[in-house]
Amino acid sequence: MLWLYAFITITIIVEVLRRFVFDFSSIWGEEAARYAFIYLVWIGAAVGVRNRSHISFSIIVDILPARGAAIFSIFGNLAIMTFAGFALYWSIEPVLTSLKYGSVSEGLQLSRAWFLVAVPLGFTLVVLRAFEATIEDVRAFTSNRRPPSGEKLFD
Amino acid sequence: MLYGGVETTLELGWDVIGPLLLLLVLFLFSVPVWVSLGLTALVMLWSTGVLPLSLLGESLFSGVDHYALIAIPLYLLTGDALVRTGLSKKLLDFAEATMGSLRSGMGTSTVLGCGFFSSISGSDAAGCAAVGRMTYSRLVEKGYPTSYAAALVAAGSCTGILIPPSIAYIIIGMILGISAASLFVAAIVPGVLVLVSIMITNIILNRVHGYENSSSKFSFRHWLEALWSAKFALSIPLIILGGIYSGIFTPTEAAAVAVAVTLIIGFASGTLTMAQVPAMLWSSAKVNGIIVPIIAVALPLAQALALVQVPQGFAQFIRGITDDPHLTILLMLGVFIIAGCVMEATPNIVILAPIMFPLAQEIGMNDIQFCIFLITSLGVGFITPPLGLNLFVISSVTGESILSVAGRSLPYVFAMLLVVLLIAFVPAISTWWM
Repeated sequence: MLWLYAFITITIIVEVLRRFVFDFSSIWGEEAARYAFIYLVWIGAAVGVRNRSHISFSIIVDILPARGAAIFSIFGNLAIMTFAGFALYWSIEPVLTSLKYGSVSEGLQLSRAWFLVAVPLGFTLVVLRAFEATIEDVRAFTSNRRPPSGEKLFD
Repeated sequence: MLYGGVETTLELGWDVIGPLLLLLVLFLFSVPVWVSLGLTALVMLWSTGVLPLSLLGESLFSGVDHYALIAIPLYLLTGDALVRTGLSKKLLDFAEATMGSLRSGMGTSTVLGCGFFSSISGSDAAGCAAVGRMTYSRLVEKGYPTSYAAALVAAGSCTGILIPPSIAYIIIGMILGISAASLFVAAIVPGVLVLVSIMITNIILNRVHGYENSSSKFSFRHWLEALWSAKFALSIPLIILGGIYSGIFTPTEAAAVAVAVTLIIGFASGTLTMAQVPAMLWSSAKVNGIIVPIIAVALPLAQALALVQVPQGFAQFIRGITDDPHLTILLMLGVFIIAGCVMEATPNIVILAPIMFPLAQEIGMNDIQFCIFLITSLGVGFITPPLGLNLFVISSVTGESILSVAGRSLPYVFAMLLVVLLIAFVPAISTWWM
């Protein structure tokens, strides 16, 4: 993820410099940054599930006793898995279509499947991380503890 | 509808109401916002049949495939780099040298420092934490009560999303199809107005309670020294805003340049080492992974809602209650403020912007003015109890209880509300440059 990020930043800066210094912009720079960003977003979403840092409306769960909070958390993780399951299913289709017809990207001339696969890859990780979190929640429930609290985004 | 005498030509069936109730239930069960919106979009595509379900899979890719959105992680990174390189401290020192000698000058310069910070960083909470950590003890030293000092920083940091560059304006521009660069131009006067309203509120409260006992004298020499030491830090907003306003950079490119300049200054002045860079990248990548999925799933939902004409139906419903544009604006403001106090800015923007937009158009509000009105109202929500994000951030930084900070922030809520009303009723504040 770090490399993706560094790559996006450097690519854009290079593009800007290129435009000013050489008065010329490449056809692949912007595209590469955009596709790297898509990977960054969906892998980042899975990291958010692992760290339990996604934004939610938490007023009710905060005042519940330990077991109630664990049940809410299990429900939330099941909802994540349900959505991610559907998203995974529907996002594999464009990848297969792209492979079948061999479409290539405009700038890089690489198969579009390389970039489209970012979404199903991200959602596979989301399902796995949500499953992991569900197990933690069930353990918390059986031992009458609160589920692990989410990582704070800003300290 | 037979009751109430309200006639609407659009009947909302269960195929639409059902998914919206589902959204409410998922929210209440504290399911993450992006998953709640995604499941609602899924069910609504299925129940109304207006769009194929496979659209969802495609939009998770194409909805994120926008150059403009890349500005989000870059502005997050700039804010973080600003703090770690110590440039933010130099900005605050300069603000203090400028305003510190005035009556209630420490408070005013803290707010000015928040404004400097906002003109570089595109987000809000990070700035709040950073400025809070640096100024809180200084404010208390000058005689401010602890909870009041915390509230002042929380209020000043609201300008993080109001003064350009701002992630919030990039998101709303993306949702409504308005260029972020023109929103950045339009936002500058409203943003500065909010900043000034906070300064004035602090000055008035100081006159009444006499908190600050500052005795420092203005020294031109000291001011020049502070200016010189902050020269690089002050040049960053000039590069960003100047570059965007003159059309040299797009907002995304300006963000990349700001990152590069901040890092180079940090390395050159020795306040930043290569070893710190991964942690910086990591923390803004994580925030990015929280914000952007919400936008990605909101887009297909907004499309489905538009196709079954929910926004138009909502506009007609409000028009059925009142024909008066002023009253309509107040109703909208009410909705924004309530939404702003219970939920963070990104989900609110993606849900409210498409639903309220037709209503604003019907009462003849300018598109850009609507964006400024919505974002500024949500900005008030940052310090409105019970869930204002800045209240939480500042309470965890300073250790003051949320309730005591919330009580102290009420005068600021009212001051900002006045500015919001001004923005809502005086289009020229947002559109004078057009």
